[in-house]
Amino acid sequence: MFKELDPILHSQLRLAVVSLLIGVKEAEFTFIREKTNATAGNLSVQVQKLKEAGYIEVTKQFKDNYPQTTCKITPKGIEAFEAYVQALQQYLQVGKE
Amino acid sequence: MADDKKMTEQESLDLITNMIQKAKGSYHETGIGSLLWGTVVTIASVVTYFQRTYDFYIGFDIWLLVLGAIIPQIIISIQEKKSNKVKKYEDDALNAIWLVFGITIFGLNAYQMIVPDVTDKFIQLEGWQLTKHYLDNTKPDEPINTFTPSIYSLFILIYALPTLVTGMVKKFKPMLYGALITYGLFIWSCFTITEYDFLLGGAAALICWFIPGVILRRKYLAQQQANV
Repeated sequence: MFKELDPILHSQLRLAVVSLLIGVKEAEFTFIREKTNATAGNLSVQVQKLKEAGYIEVTKQFKDNYPQTTCKITPKGIEAFEAYVQALQQYLQVGKE
Repeated sequence: MADDKKMTEQESLDLITNMIQKAKGSYHETGIGSLLWGTVVTIASVVTYFQRTYDFYIGFDIWLLVLGAIIPQIIISIQEKKSNKVKKYEDDALNAIWLVFGITIFGLNAYQMIVPDVTDKFIQLEGWQLTKHYLDNTKPDEPINTFTPSIYSLFILIYALPTLVTGMVKKFKPMLYGALITYGLFIWSCFTITEYDFLLGGAAALICWFIPGVILRRKYLAQQQANV
């Protein structure tokens, strides 16, 4: 029985965001935008979806009078990411057989 | 990057790998901290070697330069923290190790300054003194003060510690090899007179911090140019 791929993660930009955050403690919104080459508007929407799913934490604060948004993966996000990778591996394994 | 693009399983896996790699190589340290400490400790060590070998004094304690470098280091650390857009898990641990290293060096300096005087006082209270006695009796005995023999060897040993940890955690070979060579210099310094220990300490600072600092700086500047 195949595990269904998590629809929250099975989207190019959201998966890219979570994959970036999995290896770091926290990252600024501008950093994620640079690495994913996404537009600020699109990224904001996807970050919001991940936040609503409880996969990431978003902190907004002011740094040197400029707004700064920081994202951090949550334990629920880590769990979902691991389950997603496991499911992917299962699919790929079957494809090879 | 579009959001609604349908991905195959293989594409998903490739995207994950690509993003993890991007996060890994996301930033290089500026290298200024390493350059600063490599420079001041090398200068202080080499000047001390020349002062002791050729018996002169430059008019002030050259190690005050090292103490003074703490101020620019604090400024550099604050600026680097502000400019970093990403924080990695190992950053806090490495910062803690370098802080402990600073405290240990400070403690060892205090030990070096306090212990001989205190020991002298205890010896006086007990009613005896340390004396230099020439085995061939060519000179009369001389009273001497307590001193900590070849203590700079311990400094060299401690220089290697945070450097090795940083090199291992960051997988940064110049620091890894620098630290291993410094352990060799420490062993060497155990067999040399104090003057040479300073020269070996200067070499340790050059290998542990200055050279890795130059490499870090080059990588950082190359990354900055790539981002323009």
